[in-house]
Amino acid sequence: MGAPADQDVVRLSGRGRWIRIAVTLVVAGLLIAGSLWGDDDVFPFGPFHMYSSAVPLNAPVNDTEVQLVDTVGQVTILTPENTGVRRAEIEGQLGRFQQDPRLLQLLADAYGRMHPRQSLVGDTVQIVIRWYQLSGGVMTGKFTVQVVAEWAVTS
Amino acid sequence: MGGDVVTGRFSRFLTEPVPLGRLAAYRTVIYLFVAFDPVWFTPWVRDHASLPGVFYRPLLVGRLLHLPVPTSLMVNSIFYALIVAAVVAGTGRLPRLAGWIVFVLYAEWMIIAMSYGKVDHDRFGLLVALAVLPSAGAARHGERRLSERAGWALRAAQLSVVATYFLSSVAKLRYGGPGWLTGATLEWAIIRRGTWLTDVLTSQRWILVAAQFGIVAFELSSPIVFFVGPRIRYLFITYFYLFHVMVFATITISFAPHLAAMTSFLPLERVRPIGWVRSSWRRMRGGDPGGPAEEHTPESHPAADPGSAISIGTPATPATAPPG
Repeated sequence: MGAPADQDVVRLSGRGRWIRIAVTLVVAGLLIAGSLWGDDDVFPFGPFHMYSSAVPLNAPVNDTEVQLVDTVGQVTILTPENTGVRRAEIEGQLGRFQQDPRLLQLLADAYGRMHPRQSLVGDTVQIVIRWYQLSGGVMTGKFTVQVVAEWAVTS
Repeated sequence: MGGDVVTGRFSRFLTEPVPLGRLAAYRTVIYLFVAFDPVWFTPWVRDHASLPGVFYRPLLVGRLLHLPVPTSLMVNSIFYALIVAAVVAGTGRLPRLAGWIVFVLYAEWMIIAMSYGKVDHDRFGLLVALAVLPSAGAARHGERRLSERAGWALRAAQLSVVATYFLSSVAKLRYGGPGWLTGATLEWAIIRRGTWLTDVLTSQRWILVAAQFGIVAFELSSPIVFFVGPRIRYLFITYFYLFHVMVFATITISFAPHLAAMTSFLPLERVRPIGWVRSSWRRMRGGDPGGPAEEHTPESHPAADPGSAISIGTPATPATAPPG
C-alpha cells in the first residue's frame, strides 16, 4: 500500500489517480467506438446487439435446430449439452455448413464422442430452420420447415 | 477554472472512497462466481475442446495475440487452473497475483467461448471487474477504512454495467433503427426461447410493443442511477434485478455474469455470513444471548465525499455527518 493514509481514508497518489482516469477514458472510448462502428470481432468492445434487429411484422421468423435423424426416422436434437456446440454458433457459421455439408460430420463426431456406444452410421445430420409466419407481429401458428444443410453420417 | 471544477468532480466521482470491507466482499462475490461459472453457466466452453479446429473462428484479440487453436489439453488446463485461482482470489489472499492470474485465465476462457461463431454480450461488466480488482490491493472483510483505490474498482464495474444497458439501446438503434420499438423482435425471441409464462403474459401484441418501449426507456435511462441519492439508487438497482428476473422468466436469458458484476452497487460489507455464523456460535457456546451479535459489522462510516456529484453511502446512514 503505497498511498498515504489520512485517518480513515486511504488516498490515491496523484499518479495513481491519473492512471485510473486515463484507463477509464481509454476503455470508455474503445467501448463507444466498438458500439458505433465495430462488430463482434472486436470482443469485448463490440456492440451489445443481442436481439437488436427490427423484425418485420408480417414476415416469417426463424427458429433453427440441428437434428440427428436415425435410420428409422427417430430425431435427436443436437444441443450444447450433447455436442458442445451452441445453436447460435451453428447459426453464426450457417453459410459454411451450407457450402460444405461435410462439416456436419464433425457435429456427428462431437455427439458420438459423448455417446460412444451409439452407432451413428447411416444417420443423417440436418440443420433445420422452422419459419414461423407472423401477421401484424403475432404468430399465426403456420410455419414451414426448411432443411438448409444435410449430411449422411459416414462413421 | 470551470474546466478544473469539472475535472475535479469527475476525478472524485471515479475514485470516491468506499469501505475496504465492501471491496473485500465484492471480490469474494466476483471470484466465487468465476469459480462457479465454468462448471455451471459455461460448461459448453469446455466441450469446445473436443471440436475440431475447423470450427474455430478466432476473434481480433485472438489473432493479435496469436492465441493458439484450443486443444483439449489447453481448455481443460484452463478450466482447472481457473477454478483453483478463483477460489484462492476469492479468499482475498494474494489479491494482485491471484487476481491477475484469474483475469488472464478467464479472459482466455471467454475468448475460447466466443470464437466459435457466437459472441455473447452478458459479461462486459464482469470482465472489467476482473481487470480492476487486482488494482485495489489488500482488503479485509469488515474493514471500515475507506479507500479510493477500492472506490475506483467498484466504480469501474458500475460504469461497465450501466454502459452495457445504455449501449444495448444504442445497438438497437444502430441495427434495428427506431422501427425496433414497434417491430416483432420480442415475438421472435419468444418463439425461439419462450416459456409458459410468456404465453400467459403476452397474449396481446400491444403488451410486447409496450415491453419494447419499456426496454429501451429502461436502458437509455439507466445512467440516472449515478445522479440520485442512495435511497433512489437502491430502488433503481432493485428494478434492474427485477428486470432480469422478468427477462429470464419470459425468454430464458440469464445474464448471470452481468448480475454478479452489478453487486458493485450494493453495500455488500453488511452481508457477513461467516461473521454471523461465528457470532451465533460464540453465543451458543458462551450462553450470552444478549451479546452484540454483529460486532464486526460496520454500522456506520462517513458517507462519501460531500463535494462529489455522486455519492456512495449506505442506505441506513445517509444522515451521517460528513468528515470535517
